Amino acid sequence: MRNFLIKLGTIDRKFIFVLIALAVLIPLLYPNLIELPIKVDKNTKIVFNSISELKSGDKVLLSFAYGASTKPEVHPMAIALLKHLFAKDIKVYIVSLWPESPIMANQAIKEIIDTKLFNLEEGVDYALFDYKTGGFIVIKGIAENFREVYKQDHNGNLIEDLTIMEDIYSVSDFDFVFDFSAGVPGNAEWVQYACDPKKIPLSSGCTSIMVTDAIPYIESGQLKGILAGMPGAAEYEKMVYDLLQEQLNKNSNLNKDAVLTKGKALARMSAQSVSHLLMVIFIVLGNVSYYFSRKNN
Amino acid sequence: MFIKRQLAIVVMISMGFLALAGQFINSDNLREFTDKDAPQWYMIIAAFAAFLGCINLLQLHSTKVIRRKKDWQYSIFTLVGFLLMIFFGFLYNGSTVGLGPHLKNEFSAFYWMYNYVYLPLSSTMFALLAFFVASASYRAFRIRNFEATLLLISGVLLMLGRVPIGALIPWWTVIIIYLSILFALFASKIKNKQVFFYSYFGANIFILILGFLLGWHVNLPSFLSIPLIQEWIMAVPATAGSRAIMIGIALGVVAQSFRIITGRERSILGD
Repeated sequence: MRNFLIKLGTIDRKFIFVLIALAVLIPLLYPNLIELPIKVDKNTKIVFNSISELKSGDKVLLSFAYGASTKPEVHPMAIALLKHLFAKDIKVYIVSLWPESPIMANQAIKEIIDTKLFNLEEGVDYALFDYKTGGFIVIKGIAENFREVYKQDHNGNLIEDLTIMEDIYSVSDFDFVFDFSAGVPGNAEWVQYACDPKKIPLSSGCTSIMVTDAIPYIESGQLKGILAGMPGAAEYEKMVYDLLQEQLNKNSNLNKDAVLTKGKALARMSAQSVSHLLMVIFIVLGNVSYYFSRKNN
Repeated sequence: MFIKRQLAIVVMISMGFLALAGQFINSDNLREFTDKDAPQWYMIIAAFAAFLGCINLLQLHSTKVIRRKKDWQYSIFTLVGFLLMIFFGFLYNGSTVGLGPHLKNEFSAFYWMYNYVYLPLSSTMFALLAFFVASASYRAFRIRNFEATLLLISGVLLMLGRVPIGALIPWWTVIIIYLSILFALFASKIKNKQVFFYSYFGANIFILILGFLLGWHVNLPSFLSIPLIQEWIMAVPATAGSRAIMIGIALGVVAQSFRIITGRERSILGD
């Protein structure tokens, strides 16, 4: 037994790879196999409540700063947030700070339109703006003068011709800013260059790895909660799904005939749960093996 | 030589002082420069830097292939991928919309390449991290000393606390984990194995009975809930660490900026 435990420490890593692959694949292929209850994190609740407090007709600026590599983690948050905003008849403005982000923003809007939940009109209910190079300088530009940075929307329509752009001149004209990011520029730049100096409420959805850097801003109140990686996305998806299900027959902004579907992050949480648990088991086994091998030596 | 060195230093110093002066001197012209002109210059220069990056990538990988340097075969893939995307981005459209908007048109060849080649490849690369992290944590997360143990415990609690499975871990398991950690820390002090064994089991049974009597199975105290412990780790120790790092970075930025605007920092000139 002791020898077996010691040998565990020198196990071929390919074996670990196969187990991790199975731990991820099986729950993804059979999402109903393991159904785990989602417990909502404090920060997700803050985000949900902050958005819920917005009124019909309020203006929310969304910043897309993620790409293909982080799409599985961040994109579900964007979809859930857009559903929440459109259900409240809030005007949405999307800017892209990464070269790939305009495609992400387009895909998000297309997914929302495909659900047939809302009757949306581009230029009236939402506006998309293409990628601008410069990172934090673009954020600084939006903070000072939106129209200096963006002269037209992604279809080439002049800002002056868009109904939704009436009264929008700088970040101060928005009621809320939401950042979706997977690196730089991200929530830290929005705090430093736009939302904190102009006192505009800001929240963020980002990859799990970015959360530790953002935590000081949350604790100080400069960020109104955070959607932290895939778990944050799943929690927010669940909250929005429950809300829409409850309001489907009452809310005039929702099409009653539309079919409500659960988000992708919820389905992916089982895979993440099982793989995390497996990793913890690996760590425990690794330490047991380490203990016996050290004792032997 | 003058353009590359002295002039560059003069431009660097004068721009640094101008940008700094905009924050302290109440002049509309200066404000106009720091708030509008300088950011626009930055955006234009950043856009041109993208071209430089492309040329650099072409040069670097072409040289690697021509000179048959180590792993030159991979450079062929980089170059082919790069040229293919340029072809679909600038030359071949494949959709009814004009060049430019075709980049986001789902019927264009570029979009197809992005959505069905680049996106899955990119996600795959990122997802591979899971395998390496699993393998690395198996080998590296060892109870070697106090610091490593602390890292291991907080890492495990965060891993479990962030996923739904963490909420399913019952309170008595958390108590056993606490006691195991406590006894592991004092294990070296107790020489007699029998005493150690009995005191460990005795403590577990005592605390479990106490927990039932205090009703912890009905009203779960926050220190026995793994998701709440995770929230506390993120809100208190992680925040403290992050703040310390942020303050350190900010001081570093101040020092580095001072070196740049006084012309002492010349690494940006290639020194």
